Amino acid sequence: MKTHVTIALRNLTRQKKRTALLAIAIAFSVMIVTVIYGLTSAISVNIAENFSDILGGHIFITGSEKHGTSKEISRISNDQALRDALKASGINYSYVSSYSSTFATIIFEGKTTSLLINGINIKENENFRKRLSLKKGDWESILTTPNALIVPEKVAQTLNVEIGDVVIAKIETVYGQNNVGEFRIAGINYNADLVSQLSSYTHTAHLNEILGLLPGEYQTFAVRLPSLKETDAAAMKYYDVLKNYVQVFDRKTEANGAPMTGFQALLRSQKKESWEGVKYRLFTINEQLAQIQQFVSAADTIGTTVLIILFLITMVGINNTFRMIMYERIKEIGTMRAIGYQQKDVKRLFLLEAFFLGMIGMLAGFLLAGILMAIVSSINFGMENEFFILLRNGHITFNLQFAKIATIFIIVSILTLLAVSLPARKAAKLSPAQALGTEK
Amino acid sequence: MPIISLENVKKTYYLGKVEVEAVKGVSFCIEKGDFISIAGPSGSGKTTILNMIGLIDKPTSGEVIIDDKPTSKLSDRELTKMRHQVLGFIFQSFNLIPVLNVWENIEFPLLIGETRIAPQEKKEWIDHLIEEVGLTEWKKHKPNELSGGQRQRVAIARALVTRPYIVLADEPTANLDSKTGEQIIELMKKINSELDTTFIFSTHDAKIVSIADHIIRLKDGEVIENVRKGEPQPAECR
Ligand SMILES: Nc1ncnc2c1ncn2[C@@H]1O[C@H](COP(=O)(O)OP(=O)(O)OP(=O)(O)O)[C@@H](O)[C@H]1O
Ligand SMILES: [Mg+2]
Repeated sequence: MKTHVTIALRNLTRQKKRTALLAIAIAFSVMIVTVIYGLTSAISVNIAENFSDILGGHIFITGSEKHGTSKEISRISNDQALRDALKASGINYSYVSSYSSTFATIIFEGKTTSLLINGINIKENENFRKRLSLKKGDWESILTTPNALIVPEKVAQTLNVEIGDVVIAKIETVYGQNNVGEFRIAGINYNADLVSQLSSYTHTAHLNEILGLLPGEYQTFAVRLPSLKETDAAAMKYYDVLKNYVQVFDRKTEANGAPMTGFQALLRSQKKESWEGVKYRLFTINEQLAQIQQFVSAADTIGTTVLIILFLITMVGINNTFRMIMYERIKEIGTMRAIGYQQKDVKRLFLLEAFFLGMIGMLAGFLLAGILMAIVSSINFGMENEFFILLRNGHITFNLQFAKIATIFIIVSILTLLAVSLPARKAAKLSPAQALGTEK
Repeated sequence: MPIISLENVKKTYYLGKVEVEAVKGVSFCIEKGDFISIAGPSGSGKTTILNMIGLIDKPTSGEVIIDDKPTSKLSDRELTKMRHQVLGFIFQSFNLIPVLNVWENIEFPLLIGETRIAPQEKKEWIDHLIEEVGLTEWKKHKPNELSGGQRQRVAIARALVTRPYIVLADEPTANLDSKTGEQIIELMKKINSELDTTFIFSTHDAKIVSIADHIIRLKDGEVIENVRKGEPQPAECR
């Protein structure tokens, strides 16, 4: 076997230019797809990280109250049980925070738009201030304006508002009554994705007042973990313990039965379920950003399709080259057959050569992708731009899972071998007499 | 006891609708350990007959019997295995594997199939063959760094490495100048007597023909002379 490998490898060096061209074609496809895979998965991580910075958590709990036939009230009046359960669960967390949020209709000079308003403890939440990138306005005036509202650029355009304008918000209180509140536009932030285009921020106290919540009450309890990666495992643990402290909505049926994206869940009124008192719902940033995961898997599908299309073109080149190789080495093949090479040995030699070509191409592709990713990720785009939510600290990042690299490796290997399988078969089937008799 | 016998072997080529009868019913026998020359003018069928003896090509009809074994019904796999184990080949244009050096070219047949040989024994045997063909200083060189005569010496060593009892050589001297050609034939003759290997070579060089113990002369695909050690031979084997 060693000598067959040696022959295959040395054969590749016979026409260095041709081998290099094919390897470059393979490397190019591999590089593009590696970068796409790395980018999409990093984007999803970054969006989740940035949102968990803004919302101050990875795991969220909302509370619902119901008494008799009255409407469900979304609030957390006393979070002691939640805190106790968190301690008892033993999960390693960084800090907890709280916020309220509601959908509102915003009105300004006859123009209206719908928006999610998050009531955040802006003063204490330093991460929020670091992550939310302001296009207009400044944090100082936001902190000193009790009814400050930070809206995304897109919304500011739709409403045609500027810093200092006062808008009216129609909001349903937690008790189901209509209420109206005033907000002063104090910041306009960059927005890049769907979720941030629909989210605005104000001080918790102001929002709670309009929602009809008492001081000290809020809607969402957020647990910040040391890293995003721990989210799912920690949520599972927390949920299991929390069940022993308070009533909790079944996570499984909610997550699988009706895929709930957090923001929808906040609004959702529980249907004809017979329960009384206070019940809690636990969800994670990942579930909340399920659409982003869908975007990532769509982008990955595109990546795989691009790989296959680019590779189909490359395959034509590989196939042609190995057909040429067969004719160039016809006498050599005849000689090997005369000496005792079986048909399968000839075939194996072709496949080995193609396999090594694929390997060289792939290694070069991964290397080029690595270099490209290193260069791109070293560029600082700053925090104040439209794409900040896709970036991490102003940098494009890449995140490559081993499974993705394995996918590329398998696809490229299979397609390369497929591309040479026909010439390899043809070479194997050559009659030794004819192959030897060919004048060249 | 003949080691090879051909029984009424015919070979017809079809070029479109035109039939070319390259070999027209040939029978002869070859004794083990002989140094045999197949002679004849261009187009007389030398290559065709050697290819059929070498199991590289199949007769249209008739039988090639090697070591008592009829070969016409064997599969490609079995024929390949026989070529590997029983036969050695030397070609007119040397046909070395260009990416392998001298030593590796000679080793190559030992790496195919089920050849089992201890590493030390293998090394000694290959080194011995290299010495025998006078290329000890060229072991590590690639074929394109060698002269024609040197390449043919490598080919001879490669043909012998599996210890075949028949070596076939189709015009082994045609691409060499006459002096080198003679040296090559002498080397083959030497090995023939040392190892008792049967050599069958084709040529149209009269001077080289005269060295053979057994001369089979062809013309237009037929045997016109079959003389072994001065005695005419019958077509049938004893
Ligand atoms: N593959 C083939 N297809 C058609 N005809 C062939 C083929 N090979 C050989 N022939 C014909 O068969 C006849 C015998 O050819 P062969 O090559 O055996 O002769 P040769 O004695 O080896 O000649 P040379 O000395 O030129 O090598 C010639 O007429 C040749 O044209
Ligand atoms: Mg010939």
